[in-house]
Amino acid sequence: MKLRAWMPLALMTTLIVALGAYATVRQDAFLTKYNLGNLLLTMMPLALVALGQTTALLVGGFDVSVAALMTMCVVTASFTLQPDKSWTTLLPGAIVLIGVGLATGVFNATLIRFFRLPSIIATLGTLSILEGASLLLRDHPEGTINPDVISALTASVGFVPFAFIGVVVLAVLADAWLYRSRPGLALRAVGLHEVSSRRLGMRTGRTILLAFVACSVLASIAGFYLASEVQIGSPIIGNYALESIAAAVLGGASLAGGKGSFVGTLVAALFLTEIDNVLPLFQQPTEYAEMTIGGLILLALVLYQAPELVGRFRAAWPGVGRLRARDG
Amino acid sequence: MSNPGPESPVVLSLRGVSKAFGAVHALRDVTFDCVAGEIHALVGENGSGKSTLLGIASGFVRPDAGGVEIGGRHLRRASPAQARRLGLGIAYQTYSHVEDLCVAENLYLAVPHDVQPPYRRMSEWAEAKLADFNLSVPVGAPAGSLSLAERQLLEVVKALLARPKVLLLDEPTTALGPEDVERLHALVFEQSRAGVAIAYVSHRLPEILGIADRITVLRDGVGQGTYEAATMSEESLVALMIGRPLEHAFPERSDRKAGEVLLSVSQLQGERFGPIDLEVEKGEIVGIAGAEGNGQVQFLRALAGVEQSTGSATCNGAPLDMRSPLGPLRAGVVLLSGNRGSDALFPVLSVRANTTIQVLRSLGRFGILRRGLERRTVDEVGQKLRIRMASIEQPVQSLSGGNQQKVSLTRPFLRGDVNVILAEEPTQGVDVGARFDIYDAMRTKAAQGVATIVKSSDPLELAGLCDRVLVISRGKIIDEIRGDELGERRIVEAIVGSGVGRPPAGATDVSTA
Repeated sequence: MKLRAWMPLALMTTLIVALGAYATVRQDAFLTKYNLGNLLLTMMPLALVALGQTTALLVGGFDVSVAALMTMCVVTASFTLQPDKSWTTLLPGAIVLIGVGLATGVFNATLIRFFRLPSIIATLGTLSILEGASLLLRDHPEGTINPDVISALTASVGFVPFAFIGVVVLAVLADAWLYRSRPGLALRAVGLHEVSSRRLGMRTGRTILLAFVACSVLASIAGFYLASEVQIGSPIIGNYALESIAAAVLGGASLAGGKGSFVGTLVAALFLTEIDNVLPLFQQPTEYAEMTIGGLILLALVLYQAPELVGRFRAAWPGVGRLRARDG
Repeated sequence: MSNPGPESPVVLSLRGVSKAFGAVHALRDVTFDCVAGEIHALVGENGSGKSTLLGIASGFVRPDAGGVEIGGRHLRRASPAQARRLGLGIAYQTYSHVEDLCVAENLYLAVPHDVQPPYRRMSEWAEAKLADFNLSVPVGAPAGSLSLAERQLLEVVKALLARPKVLLLDEPTTALGPEDVERLHALVFEQSRAGVAIAYVSHRLPEILGIADRITVLRDGVGQGTYEAATMSEESLVALMIGRPLEHAFPERSDRKAGEVLLSVSQLQGERFGPIDLEVEKGEIVGIAGAEGNGQVQFLRALAGVEQSTGSATCNGAPLDMRSPLGPLRAGVVLLSGNRGSDALFPVLSVRANTTIQVLRSLGRFGILRRGLERRTVDEVGQKLRIRMASIEQPVQSLSGGNQQKVSLTRPFLRGDVNVILAEEPTQGVDVGARFDIYDAMRTKAAQGVATIVKSSDPLELAGLCDRVLVISRGKIIDEIRGDELGERRIVEAIVGSGVGRPPAGATDVSTA
């Protein structure tokens, strides 16, 4: 792969290591099994929803309804995954959560493909509907989540949660699929240029539909982990829509579609979570975290364009020379 | 020419297809068929519906009425994927490459699943396929980085990789030089001999007469009949395409007496032309001829202040400030750029916005635009220039080339204070019918006292439109043709230098420009 493709991964990894090293030197509490395990677990909702967002970005769309969907899943879980239930009722309850994701995905995809709404507008509408529905079901935090489910979700080997291993495997497989298979190539082609792809004989409609369904299903799985974190049916929505887009873009995804990497997204999600994790250790207010994230996204985007910028700069030089020659 | 027998099966058949885009009827009840081993050409002016017809045949455009059969099987819904499965290959005029993907990936995506090699062997496979067609382009390079000619050939190869029963070619030679055209035609003949039915769309009539077995003519979305190519000539085809004989394609010159000089150019010199002295009178249309790249464009652009130059010029007696485009514009000197799409028009804006953008001040009161007045103004000028559009709110990019050019012509029409029009290739890419409207508009403006300089690469156009023609070679005026002498043949002779006392044709050096 080319420099442009590796840049995000390299930059994110460097920043993760640098921030980790700094935190280790300044705070004993950072490099402990307890904190690292906790870090990897708190990363799960963002990691999963950002992977989903990456598929939406790959076909050139946005899904801003993911956060509302995750909240909806938490609220639903407070009904279907209540304590003192046997596994035979919990399993259908879990399927209901996935079903909510599936239904939302189909709804979004229908608005986007058949009614030709821009994805950002379509999912904004879905966001409002889901937000209202969540408040209807739980107007205040109520209904605890089954602790057995939570401990199953957060089980780990050593300090590494199984869920983290799972999500790494998922991202690696997804990248291999994206860059080493025909359907993956077709997905990128559709994101890069939909009209050409259709002319080439690809089923662009189906590809875009599936991408948005995959995005919502991944968001609903993220909802499980959010539920295991808040442990109660809370209708309050997190900032996951923007953070998931931020993670995907920091991981190398292009807002214009067709470019991106699932592993890159995962690493970027890890970095964003690390910032959140480190700042409280210094008793810093979280306002700094917000500002740092914003600044880093801008910095990263400028850096990712560096090859193009250098090229443009070089191309400009002979022109400057010509102008000078003419003046003289 | 290949000779399909009468018993050859019909491979592509369109029956009574119609299609409207908004209020514009692109096609009305058109029937077209193509038999195995035949080269069937489709001709028509820009905007006559050729591309729409191909779009319908290939499943990219859904017809409002009528049906498509490929290889005897009905195309049930508009789907390029299904059309390809039924045996249709198409090379689009505006290419169908994904520019950011490499050549190999584009070829790979273009062929059906059963022909596709394993993903990891894609590069070798693509190289082998390109070698089959004698096309040497790097398979790992992004498709967008190839030259236009390479992309055009690649587009044809891509269509052939799926081994189609019928091949549609939409203007396949627009970017090709003579050598590549021959290569392409050899390939087309080879395919037709192998039994592939070929539908060939082009506006180059000599090319079509040389290659086609049958020719179908479209005009304004209506079929004008299908003819044996051997029985047709360029003249008869043009008559069918424009619906009137060619002679009347230019407006009458008005009887103009020698008047006062409006534009006077003295010792104007730029990097690629000059020194040039020139006087243009009120109401006169002066043509600039010459082989491409001899400084004609630069001369016009220097006069408009777009290009740097030394020397001087006066307009209406006042010196012309040519250091920037602002001076000539203020003096009423208007440049109609040949590059409409990127230099002259705002493609995504409406006809209304493009028309009035220079005169908004006169259409408002206290800085607030009077919409009614603006609409009336645009409607009026649109009718005067016969712009074919669904409404004045239609984006300019959705108009045909000729109508786009008319939109850029509306600007000098709306400005009352225009003195000089500098027109660069005013009818390039414009269909024959619209050309007349453009000539007519320029004549009308000239009759109002405007001085016009037209740079054109079409000698016939200069001979028909201008009062006198200047021939430029290596940036200098080498000949002036006026009066009864003014004719296409005389201009061509002057350009290629076969006139008395000038070097022979071969010595005309166009590379210096």
